[in-house]
Amino acid sequence: MRSLHRLFGIAVLLVASTSVLLCPASHAVEHAILQRHCSKCHTGDEPEGGFHLDMLGGGVTRDSREYWQSSMEYVSLGDMPPSEDSKVTETERQQIAEYIRDVVLARDADVAADYQIPTRRLNNREFANSISDALGIEDPGTHFPLGNLLGDTLHDGFDTNGDVLGISEYHLEQYVDTVREIVDAIVLTGERTPSQRYEVPSALLQMSSLNQRTTRRQSAGRNSDSLEFRDMRLQMSFENFKEVPTTGYYRIKIRATGVDRGYYDSEQTGVYDGDPIRLSIHFGDRVRTYELPDNEVKEIELTEWLAKGTRIELSYPTDGLRKRGNGNFKFQQSIAHDHIKENDPELYEKVVSKIRPKKAGGRNLRVNHWSYWVDYWRGPRPRVFSADVEGPIYKSWPPERQVALVGESPNAHNAEEILKPIAERAWRREVRDGELDPLVRLVSMRQKELGDLEAIKEGIVAIFVSPSFLLINPEGASHPDRFATKLSFFLQSTLPSDALRDFVRAGKLDDYPSVRNAIVEYFTSNRGDEFLDEFPQGWLQLDRINFMAPDPDHFAHYHRKGVSDDMIAEAKRFFRHAIETNMPLPEMLTANFSFINADLAEVYGVDDVPEDSILRRYEFTDQRRGGMLGMGAFLTLTADSLGTSPIHRAVYVLENFMGIKPSPPPGDVEIQEPDVRQAKTIKEILAAHIAEETCASCHRSIDPYGYAFENFDPMGAWRDAYVQVSVSEPVSEAKVPKRKKSVEKQFELPIDASATFRNGNSYDDIVGFRGLMRDEANQKQFVRCFVKKLLVYANGVEPEDTAAVEEIVLKSAENDYRIVDTIAVVVDSPLFREP
Amino acid sequence: MPFSRRSILQGFGGAIALPKLESIAQAAEKPSAGSQSHRPAGTLRFLVVGNPLGMHPPNFFPKDFGRDYTMSRTLQPLEWAKDRFTVFSHTDHGMKSGHGRELAFLSGVLPETSHAFPEKNMSIDQLIARHIGSDVRYPSIHASLQTGIRMVWNANGVELKPFTDPQRLFEHLFLNLSEQEKRHQLTTIQRNGSILDAVREQFAGVKAKAGVADRERLDQFGTSIRELENRLKTREEWVGRDKPEFDISHHLEGEASIINRYNAMFDMVAYAFQTDLTRVATIAFPNELGYTDVNGVNRGYHACTHNGKDEQVVSELVAIESFQIEQLSRFMKRLDEIDEPNANGSMLDHTVILFGSGMGYGGTHSNRNLPILVAGGGFKHLGHVDTRSAAGKNMPLCNLYVTLMQRFGIERDSFNLSTGSFSLDHA
Repeated sequence: MRSLHRLFGIAVLLVASTSVLLCPASHAVEHAILQRHCSKCHTGDEPEGGFHLDMLGGGVTRDSREYWQSSMEYVSLGDMPPSEDSKVTETERQQIAEYIRDVVLARDADVAADYQIPTRRLNNREFANSISDALGIEDPGTHFPLGNLLGDTLHDGFDTNGDVLGISEYHLEQYVDTVREIVDAIVLTGERTPSQRYEVPSALLQMSSLNQRTTRRQSAGRNSDSLEFRDMRLQMSFENFKEVPTTGYYRIKIRATGVDRGYYDSEQTGVYDGDPIRLSIHFGDRVRTYELPDNEVKEIELTEWLAKGTRIELSYPTDGLRKRGNGNFKFQQSIAHDHIKENDPELYEKVVSKIRPKKAGGRNLRVNHWSYWVDYWRGPRPRVFSADVEGPIYKSWPPERQVALVGESPNAHNAEEILKPIAERAWRREVRDGELDPLVRLVSMRQKELGDLEAIKEGIVAIFVSPSFLLINPEGASHPDRFATKLSFFLQSTLPSDALRDFVRAGKLDDYPSVRNAIVEYFTSNRGDEFLDEFPQGWLQLDRINFMAPDPDHFAHYHRKGVSDDMIAEAKRFFRHAIETNMPLPEMLTANFSFINADLAEVYGVDDVPEDSILRRYEFTDQRRGGMLGMGAFLTLTADSLGTSPIHRAVYVLENFMGIKPSPPPGDVEIQEPDVRQAKTIKEILAAHIAEETCASCHRSIDPYGYAFENFDPMGAWRDAYVQVSVSEPVSEAKVPKRKKSVEKQFELPIDASATFRNGNSYDDIVGFRGLMRDEANQKQFVRCFVKKLLVYANGVEPEDTAAVEEIVLKSAENDYRIVDTIAVVVDSPLFREP
Repeated sequence: MPFSRRSILQGFGGAIALPKLESIAQAAEKPSAGSQSHRPAGTLRFLVVGNPLGMHPPNFFPKDFGRDYTMSRTLQPLEWAKDRFTVFSHTDHGMKSGHGRELAFLSGVLPETSHAFPEKNMSIDQLIARHIGSDVRYPSIHASLQTGIRMVWNANGVELKPFTDPQRLFEHLFLNLSEQEKRHQLTTIQRNGSILDAVREQFAGVKAKAGVADRERLDQFGTSIRELENRLKTREEWVGRDKPEFDISHHLEGEASIINRYNAMFDMVAYAFQTDLTRVATIAFPNELGYTDVNGVNRGYHACTHNGKDEQVVSELVAIESFQIEQLSRFMKRLDEIDEPNANGSMLDHTVILFGSGMGYGGTHSNRNLPILVAGGGFKHLGHVDTRSAAGKNMPLCNLYVTLMQRFGIERDSFNLSTGSFSLDHA
């Protein structure tokens, strides 16, 4: 609802100022064209939408900037002046738009003066990447050193917002502990521990228990030579290797195979025959996943640096095996019953005959109850034969990573020499004269009681608790260093490499072509992967997808197959494709293709895709789907669990695709709660709301962005009619019927997915809507939105300088709004460079 | 199973005489031994008592509403305190049915969806403990027998495990550290302190170079350093100081029945409250525990909930549930016999107690209409309340949590799924 209200705001502004006299009347005269077309509604005591023309002042200033920007957006989209009550022609509307744009581009000096973005704390992602890079390690460690860091709060989906990334003494204390734990797993004090070998025969493989009581023996799944994953909720571990005894390299060998893939019908198991059986190996939160060949032993061998206390655990990753009962794996085992009954009558008789009636008081279960068939389960599963662990292994002593960090035999007297290169990497700049003195003093103070090595560790911890590490560009570093830092955090979420800093300092990223080349290089070398993953995640607010997940009873497939993961993957895969092909931005919105797998195909009503989980490019021929407007992720995260809301979807489209934030409805408005039981369509319900004039002026601008999606249900599947279902709780919980059979009344109502925009354009359904989204004004607005989102991600704040944003959009237009070029224009703009 | 009068007396035996207070405010003023007059006014404590299977509704919920209601069968042990607690009907987190969703008892949020909430699925006790901060030695303590019920989660969505052995809880709360342990803790605190010293000095140089735009956040950083240094100092004092003395041996002698052991745990929490060792605690009654020590119980707890309405089995379930209420009653009585120092009323009036479950009733697997009871805390209690809206919708339990937070002076008007707050006045 938020977006609607900004619109109101503008309308009101135009009307209100005569009485308020926010600014001298002469200003209004300067904008004669606006007076002519807008003053009817946007002057007076109660201007439409709370926007009075006088709020624009004479030109763009800090105070009026917001109003100019909104005015530009609404006029260029054709929402203003509204076609319903003015006779403005298309030409006139364009003239108004051009006039506003000219004023915006001729910004006042005070707006452009200061581009400096306030410093902010690293988020936890950036912290993990940065400290690993500064210390020269693969990740912070396998002993959960970041486990106690406070979670980051998201703002509009992004984890880079400076306002919500606060810092408190609680944060600081966790940082001290965390950094200490990370450093302790690199710099090893004491004697070298000799390597040892742990052979793990199948008898010593053990399965975790779902019960907190571990006394019960897990028998199912144990063969004479192996242990199998009969239940994918469990983890396997090694009985004679509970945890890593000493930090160092460990060589781990595991012999495993996949069995019984396709033995049961994949319709029943929810595991596609085309998907290989996989096995994951967990070292703390470091996970390695392998595909297992069918009935053929694979020797997995890997060497990992493991911190003391790390546990090694194996798991069976699958999104299937949840199709029966309420989705709990155990119910799945009744498939064994069905299969044996049909294919092996002899065995069936044998098993059934062994079922004894329960003793008095026990409930007698039907023969197809899962519990009788656990031992006969033949679903797809990994079978592990044995394992072998050897370590700690050191190629040299002290270990290489320690020598790389502090040298062969570090001495506290050389503390400055040792700490300086670490500090320069961590702080992304040159260390100032005398700056390390307090750290050097710290080391020499501790040397006596702790010894050289431990004392130097104290100095290293201090480097990473410093604001120069924990905050991004907190101080007057040189301009090239600041730019290198920003660029690196933008694309890689980590501190800049020495090479990048040298490159920038040598003036090799000073203009648009060189920036563009550098960005292409990031994306083609996989160094930009973090951006490709995190930017769409934040932009599309994918974290919200299960905030109101579709109802599990009515959208079972969504829950049973973990479809939200596929939807998120689809959105990210599509974004990556756009980058790889340097797609023109507007095409992303309305492309006729996307990347789908069999799970998504079921939601999208498509049946010509291979039976597996791999995302492949798919062209939709119905003109309804494809691109970002057709993605399940967007359609699901904007819906409630049982119903859809055109307003939620409209607000999402406005905020994330159009870059317009409607303001929320005034507090005193009574909003009728949707009632899924009543025989009214959402449109009829909203009609009553919109009939009220206070609501109407905003909703006329907002709602047309949402009605088009009414043919998509809460999961994002196509529907031709509303199927309303009454849901009822058991009347009295004291008397629950033996077999719960909820009485559901169903009725169908037709869907009306048509609407008319304020500029007079109308559409009948999603096909028409997608057509309108391809017109020039909407395309440009989408690009403007994308540019702003990029800047929010990069800077942690909304861009203030409308003119600079507009200049980016104009330059992007010269390159057909292509995405990589547009990103390069953004990075090359003063809004990113902070001159 | 009425608790024996003897065990209550034992519980009070000896220990009750003039406890030494723990809080820092006390330490600063160096009160004469045993004086209770310096406890800061407005001290409020929070106890959650929970189970994972709900309560048998016909026996738990009173039949009528209002202050004048007729006590239900399960709640009988609380008859004496009828004006000291409120029973809430028709409040829940809107969860679907099934086990596993009771994990959301104290937040309304399940671990798997917690990333959508800024505070994850942090439970209300942790939110309150964080508000109270380091005024006390332990921000919160958690106890259960055998295993926990997964109701306590921190702001990272990390589950906090309870002490499941009364002896270990005793050691944690009342046993003094060895000299070596104290030294080790002090060394770590001092080492961290020196690191902060060095960082503070280096920070001064950063700040001198910073631009105007960065000032505000750098100030925030500077404040954090100062505050952490203060906190480390406080902690250093705690390490050196001896804990209050307490004796629970009488509970642990002889047969280790669950009755004895729960008595011991509740007594330890009461004494920890009394001596200001902590102000937030949780105690759980897990599913896996055998309750056959309780009179009339032969079956497992979970099995009793699936009773097929067999009268015998239902009565066993009610016996287990009554046992939980008896423990609660015993604890409340105990607090009520202690005058709150420096304030009106008893310690019960200054302790908010929340009893309940994240599951409505195990027999139907329903997670609607949760059994919820709030006692003490100086509230003007309302008897038995129907919280449904005029339209007949259940009230989000988070609304009640907002009220409880506000009682602790936490200035906020929303918590996860809340749509408002529940109006419950206090004296």
